[in-house]
Amino acid sequence: MIKAHNITHRYHQDIALDNINLTIQKGEFVAITGESGSGKSTLLSILSTLLKPSAGELFFENQNYNAIKNIDTFRQHNVGFIFQFHYLINYLTIQENIQIAHEKATSDEIMTLLNTLGIQTLAKRFPNEISGGQKQRVAIARALINSPKVVFADEPTGNLDSKNSQNVFDVFQQLCQNGTTVIVATHDKKLALQAHRIIEVHDGKL
Amino acid sequence: MVYPLKALNANRLKTALICFSLIFSITAIFLITAISNGVISMYSHILKSDGDIIVTQAKISDTFFSNVNRDLLKTINTLQGVNKSSAVIVGATPVENLPIVAVYGISSNRFSNYILIQGEYPKEQEVIVGKSIYELLQNKKEIQIANATFKVSGVFESGVGFENGGVVLNIVDASAIFNKSASMLLIGTSLKNDIQSTINAIQALSHEIEVKSTQSFIDNYNQFKIIKTSSHAVSFIAFSMGLLGIVSIMSITVHQRKSEFGIKRALGIPMRKIIGQIMLESFILGFFSFLSAFFIAHIVLFFIQNTPSLQGYINGEISASLTFYIFLTSIGMAIIGAIIPAFNASKTDPIILIQGNKL
Repeated sequence: MIKAHNITHRYHQDIALDNINLTIQKGEFVAITGESGSGKSTLLSILSTLLKPSAGELFFENQNYNAIKNIDTFRQHNVGFIFQFHYLINYLTIQENIQIAHEKATSDEIMTLLNTLGIQTLAKRFPNEISGGQKQRVAIARALINSPKVVFADEPTGNLDSKNSQNVFDVFQQLCQNGTTVIVATHDKKLALQAHRIIEVHDGKL
Repeated sequence: MVYPLKALNANRLKTALICFSLIFSITAIFLITAISNGVISMYSHILKSDGDIIVTQAKISDTFFSNVNRDLLKTINTLQGVNKSSAVIVGATPVENLPIVAVYGISSNRFSNYILIQGEYPKEQEVIVGKSIYELLQNKKEIQIANATFKVSGVFESGVGFENGGVVLNIVDASAIFNKSASMLLIGTSLKNDIQSTINAIQALSHEIEVKSTQSFIDNYNQFKIIKTSSHAVSFIAFSMGLLGIVSIMSITVHQRKSEFGIKRALGIPMRKIIGQIMLESFILGFFSFLSAFFIAHIVLFFIQNTPSLQGYINGEISASLTFYIFLTSIGMAIIGAIIPAFNASKTDPIILIQGNKL
């Protein structure tokens, strides 16, 4: 699914990632762990196309990232993002927040997705009217509305209590069972253990 | 259309600031252009009302300083195609505590241009006064111009604000006051399609005069050019102020909404759509501000026109073409002002969303 070959990334003179080689299979649930500043978020950013590496090559379904002509379309059709903060747009309803990721999504499709995540009653509410755990579920719904092949999550449980954190990971496991690849950067080792594989980053190396 | 409206509503303070900035600018453009056009239109109307051809003193910059021998009218009246002619002296004088009042000394055949609402047309040592100035006069029976006292024989009403705020008297009396024969001669012709031959014939009468079609005179009149240039300069400054207002406040708004644009970029929403969203928001602001400015300008002009102390001299004219021109200017201002913030928004790097960019 995703293959990283000799990936190196530098911020000015500082090496954030050093010669990373990695392969992630379709439907795999991968947790990237490491200390703060170890380079796990940088690795996630590179794998998700948000950041271009200083050196090395990346492949998505055997296609070189550099050969992707329209990165926007690529992201829209293949990738879902979940961040530590939900980044919901406050002036839009929950349904509209999900719709911005997929303009053509019907109300029924959105409601089905919300139903799957157990938040179908929130559709007409605004982000400031729901709890932190519910916001993160909405963020997950927004990431999934395009039926992405890969979901990238950067510390998705960073702002959640243990119960809501577990709920989020339950959703990830369900996604993997349905064939979606999930790559999560987290410093929570207990949660990381629930992944199929843990990749530990230390000083920019695996 | 719904999302941009929601976005504007969510940022009410900045939306209001941009609107105020735009409304002030557009209203300023409306007023300065309308008032300039009004001044030009009023004076043009006076000149056009009596003739197709205007005769002034040669090589003189302004009709106020022009001195033409009105005896020329006798010869001009004999020329082929001439069917009407009159002489006019344009001057200004203080009257009572009014610092400046326009004085029109005219040939008797021009009196019929002034519709009397009271009294009768003036004989020697008499004047008729415009409705606006009549209301301001303390002594409504006689007024003093220069060192002479004139009886007020009547009151007239004119659609031209300049005239409504002025005094009209016989050209002989005006000639004595201003020490000139006539400021200009106004000639009407029956040869509407070929007035050039009449112009040439009049020009041949004297090398001390300059003869032009009234339209050509208006198009080339220096005072009008000065008014138009000043109007354009002030309008440009107002436009620039509005533009800078949008650019600066919109840039702040875009900066504050960085996470919104970042998440959109991360979700794969194309840059052009984000640019389009900002442009649409700006267009809505420009359109709303234009409508507000349009109504405010009308209200302000109404009060200006009905302020007695202004004697009707300031008379704004908002035509359909001016409205359209300012509409385009307003939308242009909004769109141009939004270009830089829109591009900045579209270039928001979604990497900022990764742990608040603490990589």
